[in-house]
Amino acid sequence: MGKDILRNLRKDFLVEFRSRFALNVSASFAAIVTIAISLTAGGVPFPANVQAIILWIIIFFSAMNGLSHIFVREEDQGTALFLRTAVDVDSVFVSKFIFNQAFMAVILAVVTPLYLFFLQVRVVHAAHFIFSIAAGGFSMAAATTILAAMVAKAGGKGSLFTIISFPILLPVLWISVSSTSAALNAAPPAGGSLLFLLAFSGFISVISFLLFRFIWLED
Amino acid sequence: MSTAPYSLTGEGLAKKFGRSALFKGICLSAATGESLSITGPNGSGKSTLMKILAGIQKPTAGNVDLVSGSSIEKTQWLSHIGYTGPLVNPYDELTGLENIAFAARPADAGERAGRLLETFGLGPHRDKKVKHYSSGMKQRLKLILAFLNDPPVLMLDEPGMNLDSAGTALLHSYLESVRKEKIIIIATNDPLEEQLCGRTIKLG
Repeated sequence: MGKDILRNLRKDFLVEFRSRFALNVSASFAAIVTIAISLTAGGVPFPANVQAIILWIIIFFSAMNGLSHIFVREEDQGTALFLRTAVDVDSVFVSKFIFNQAFMAVILAVVTPLYLFFLQVRVVHAAHFIFSIAAGGFSMAAATTILAAMVAKAGGKGSLFTIISFPILLPVLWISVSSTSAALNAAPPAGGSLLFLLAFSGFISVISFLLFRFIWLED
Repeated sequence: MSTAPYSLTGEGLAKKFGRSALFKGICLSAATGESLSITGPNGSGKSTLMKILAGIQKPTAGNVDLVSGSSIEKTQWLSHIGYTGPLVNPYDELTGLENIAFAARPADAGERAGRLLETFGLGPHRDKKVKHYSSGMKQRLKLILAFLNDPPVLMLDEPGMNLDSAGTALLHSYLESVRKEKIIIIATNDPLEEQLCGRTIKLG
């Protein structure tokens, strides 16, 4: 299984590196929205909770542009059957899960510094802020990997993915916003929200792993 | 992979899409050294039957069993079967060699890949991206990918599609060279490919 995962990951990174479609679209979206908001705000400082809400809205929509791509591309380009004949079902899920986590990490690495810079956000608790962003991003990518497979099998495109992801991601967004907001406030933040995000990621990853074969294996 | 002879058996196979039946009551069997062709008009269910036999799709009724000494678990079938067809597409953004590296499983697959690339005339094009291949070159690559891991069962759906006469001759001579050691099942409407096989099942 380990070799299959590495083979598929190597292939996915090569294909994505050469086309750069999902990454370019998501990164451009993130940059444009962040700059647009900072220009619209015109230097007016937002309260911490509004800053956290705007940051997570940007992260959510930037990620939605690309997280489904890993499965939708296989169906669009007609390579899903080749993938199925070459790699076993569990390895497909694990490798796509890892790819989506890496993709999310890149999105977070683009969005967060841009946001902090353009909106002049002051982070009070830096470690808590970093952990909140990382845990929220991890949960988001974990929850959406199986949804991406469902959307791809349904022949759906980006908008369908965003719509069906929203109710699943609502608790993640909610907790991430409150945790990020706490990191921007002077009061000491609690660690419970980070624990929730990690528990949610673990739970949904295990459920997704167990159910993936019923989506991937054609009926 | 097992060294025991393989046998593939399908009993009472039927497939329905909604209320319309594509085929029903199909029974077939093939053992190592035997070959079978599946023919029939467009839409008669050749590709669907091939997918069912490869364990990719479930039949509406009936069952398929792949045995080598003992029954092989269905989730493992594709590691014993070399399958290709019009819907099995290699990655356009990768080169021919990168697609082969992706599909290669056993340790000696690299050596086999080199030989197959030369045999099928893709040696000089191994480092070209597949999106720059002609349709005939793509078909040759698909065949290489199916033969790559030296599977004991070959399932080829329209294997001669887009091939020129040289490519067709290469395919026929390769199948002739391995027919005694494998189960070969071909879905085709080409009389020459049909003649390569010992038995024929007609659909529709």
